[in-house]
Amino acid sequence: MFSAPGPLRSLYTAGLQGAERGMLEAKREVVPRTIGPEELTRVLDVTRKLAARFDLATMLTEVVRAAEAVIQAEGGSLWLYEKERNEVVMRVATGMEPLRMPADRGIVGECVRTRAIINVPDCYADPRFNQAIDKRSGFRTRCMLTLPLVGHDDTLVGVLQILNKRRGVFDAHDEQLAAALAAQCAVALQRVQMIEALVAGERLKQEIAVAREIQMGTLPSTMPTLPGYEVFGAVHPADETGGDTFDFTALPGDRLFVMMGDATGHGIGPALSVTQMQAMLRLAVRLDAGLDAAYRHVNNQLAHDLPPERFVTGFIGVLDARAHVLEFHAPGQGPILHFRAAAGAVDRGMPTTFPLGAFPIDQPKPSRKLQLAPGDVVALISDGIFEWPGPDGGEFGVERVEALLREHYRLPAAQLAALIHERARAFGAAQADDVTLVILHRLAADADADVAEAELPREFAALDAAVALVREFWQRHRLADADRFAVDFAIEELFTNMVKYGGGGTTRIRLRLTREPGAVAVLLVDPDSARFDPTAARPVDLAAPLEKRTPGRLGLPLIHKLVDDFAFDYAGRESRISFRKRTGST
Amino acid sequence: MLEIEQRADGTLALAGRLDAAQAPKMQAALDALTGAARLDCARLEYVSSAGLGVLLKTQKRLGATGGVTLVNVNAHILDVFRYSGFDQIFRIEAAGA
Repeated sequence: MFSAPGPLRSLYTAGLQGAERGMLEAKREVVPRTIGPEELTRVLDVTRKLAARFDLATMLTEVVRAAEAVIQAEGGSLWLYEKERNEVVMRVATGMEPLRMPADRGIVGECVRTRAIINVPDCYADPRFNQAIDKRSGFRTRCMLTLPLVGHDDTLVGVLQILNKRRGVFDAHDEQLAAALAAQCAVALQRVQMIEALVAGERLKQEIAVAREIQMGTLPSTMPTLPGYEVFGAVHPADETGGDTFDFTALPGDRLFVMMGDATGHGIGPALSVTQMQAMLRLAVRLDAGLDAAYRHVNNQLAHDLPPERFVTGFIGVLDARAHVLEFHAPGQGPILHFRAAAGAVDRGMPTTFPLGAFPIDQPKPSRKLQLAPGDVVALISDGIFEWPGPDGGEFGVERVEALLREHYRLPAAQLAALIHERARAFGAAQADDVTLVILHRLAADADADVAEAELPREFAALDAAVALVREFWQRHRLADADRFAVDFAIEELFTNMVKYGGGGTTRIRLRLTREPGAVAVLLVDPDSARFDPTAARPVDLAAPLEKRTPGRLGLPLIHKLVDDFAFDYAGRESRISFRKRTGST
Repeated sequence: MLEIEQRADGTLALAGRLDAAQAPKMQAALDALTGAARLDCARLEYVSSAGLGVLLKTQKRLGATGGVTLVNVNAHILDVFRYSGFDQIFRIEAAGA
């Protein structure tokens, strides 16, 4: 005789939890009988097997086999319950194809409804029994034990049917044993289903990530150089993949092919649309197809390929750096912002025609030409910026972008693009759409008047951005590296003081470099600080012996030595610290 | 939300937002039309690119038989149409026109 030890007792009890209620409802007499050693071995074996990492198909087979083995039955079948459709699906029955039926039919239906064990000793005498399944399988069901598989959260996972006891019919002891097994099977099945759902989600995520990598990989990794111009482009997708793209291709004769595209919606479909458009245009340009022909062919191909509700707004242009002419088609892309430096004003250009892929065309509308004067900026910006949602239901809008262009057009193109994106981000909470910014900047003839600017958060880590700004500025103006060290040093010292002793909070510290004849002027502005005049700091005796020197006091006096015109101005909590560095050209 | 009301003369009167969430509903209403579509946008507040896609699909289907006409279009939606070149595809009558 065997008396069940702890683990088995809990297995046995757990098994009863799901089925107990059913048995009581069916008003069956529970006949307690101890589980024999052979049965125990079989149950333990099954439990061990079910703990393995099966896929769903294997798990279904294992469950049915386990039931056959433990209960000593000839066959078995398992119906998975699909709540959304209120159907049961049989994916496993020895030698049978999957089968689907409404979850309210026959014995299985009754089990779904009552969640009770149903013991049918003579199937062909029971009107609920569906003989059609036997006819399909060729198996003759004599007697049948039907059990609900109830998961750990009390949801119905499926229905297990055990067919034809090897000797006689199923009795109350079989019911107990089967109920114990059913509970184990239900939890194991549920676990596998959850894992498979997770894996499927993960696989989709990975595929999207790969699609994004491919799409982002088609973007130019370095910005082209064009004499007298600075060009920059960037895409910031809203989702894992975006429907935006841009491209630059250098053409002979100091010309640059410029393209941007924004496909309806975002996700993999639009990403493929714009990637296809970009690939076609690259090819057309490399084959020297000419602007009109490239535009027409790509439009017509997209009109043929895209589903009827899809389209791509785009800009297809050639910038001639010798003639200073930007010639383009802007199918559906607008507004095209042209900052005219001489007037200090922004022209708002409309699309030249309807979006790419909307309809095939025989003859394109004429291209448009913009004459670019020194200092002019053309900004091609996707609607993700203009329609960036604000907190009160408003949008970032065109006017704000135009104001930024008027105020900051002198900034390096990359910084100007970053500034526009950052201001949009600060305007509204979350990015709703893909954002693409392409900046074409004709450098001012008087490059000495150039300015670089950054707004730095109050943290030491922002020093990297300051150093990068200075380095870029130095390279652009071909200044001597030896002079840069002093500027880096002074900025670091002053900025660090502002972070340490400034007002804190979220206001940013502004750094501005201005190229002057024979010098670089540096301005640091802390909009929220107590008054502290770094230029008035007491001089330190640099000749003092080492033991009398304190670290951290050396910075400010050194600035006096390294740079010129060190000056301080304070008004209404705003500190303005400026200095110049005389420079020699390389 | 988007409300679509069909008037006795066949005009669809739209109210609310025609965005990605509402595009299928708009598509279903437009698919039921034959010949030409006339949309009264007096109470339409917003159109997204998904909304434009629905209109484009309908224009392709009905272009030969009269196409899509939008009337009483507010200034904001008119901007969307102009900035995307869609004013060159549809007949548009601005609000108060």
